[in-house]
Amino acid sequence: MKTALKQMAQIIAADTYPQMVSRQNAARAMQTLRSAEVAANAQAAMDAQVPAMRAAILEYVDELENAQSDMTKIFETAHEIRGFAESAGLVTTGRIADILCRYMDDMERIKKPVDLTLVALNVSAIGRAARAEDGDVAMGDAVAAELAALVARRLTDAGHG
Amino acid sequence: MTGAVFETLKALIVEDNAHMRTLLRALLNSTGIKDIAEAANGQGALTILRERKSDLVLSDLAMKPMDGLEFTRRVRNDEHNPNPFVPIIMITGHTERYRVEAARDAGVTEFLAKPITAHNLFARIAEIVERPRAFVRCDNYFGPDRRRHTLDDYAGPWRRQDDFQQEVDVR
Repeated sequence: MKTALKQMAQIIAADTYPQMVSRQNAARAMQTLRSAEVAANAQAAMDAQVPAMRAAILEYVDELENAQSDMTKIFETAHEIRGFAESAGLVTTGRIADILCRYMDDMERIKKPVDLTLVALNVSAIGRAARAEDGDVAMGDAVAAELAALVARRLTDAGHG
Repeated sequence: MTGAVFETLKALIVEDNAHMRTLLRALLNSTGIKDIAEAANGQGALTILRERKSDLVLSDLAMKPMDGLEFTRRVRNDEHNPNPFVPIIMITGHTERYRVEAARDAGVTEFLAKPITAHNLFARIAEIVERPRAFVRCDNYFGPDRRRHTLDDYAGPWRRQDDFQQEVDVR
């Protein structure tokens, strides 16, 4: 049995408020977004950013390694790394940073302290992956998989559902 | 092919990481959007929105002192904001379900997980162009329609006329 709330919702149809692109121009806009030229331009734009982003990632890695036991700093720095490491071509680095962030976030949510050794392992792995990304991808992937499994076990042990 | 349509648009990037701002600007440029303002957090972005028309906002989630959620709520509900309907794409590495739902409930138009790719960003922009969503105003929410799908087990709240349409039709 449906019970209506006292205050019903007001629905404002899409064609009654200003749109980013008018209906008349929508087809042309879609043609632009789907064009090979725009895709190529975008890829070139991303490629041009890679050297600067890689340099920035290495700076973040230095900060991460120097954060010692400052968990807030570690989380925030790892979060920055996971945000654009993959865009910089550092796929494994981003993946391990994501594992670390998810672990710390989950532990925070269940109000349990993080395992400092596990955090240190992840920080170390992020550093090694970032500095050796071009050389040893297979090893990096294996390390990331091991860390993901270890984190999953620790979360289970801590009572995370 | 960079379109004349996009060349007329004004965008706003709200992101505390300078490298991400540069990357997002470059990607928007590649569509033809050139008029792009930047802010490092929600507070600065609100000021820009009041002073300058924006057709599209790309916003990070975690920023200080005002994060992307509060920024979005203020955009939707602040009487000083000239365009509460402006599309907001939330771009974040925080992809946990509860954060996505928080972004949805704040009133974001689209959610995009980092790492950014041109394909994914353009897909979100295309969604805004091709399938503009109705807005909903109720006692505790103003923003894009959050019901994108029909759920068989949806248990309410029932607060729309068309929630009761089927029952009315039967009678």
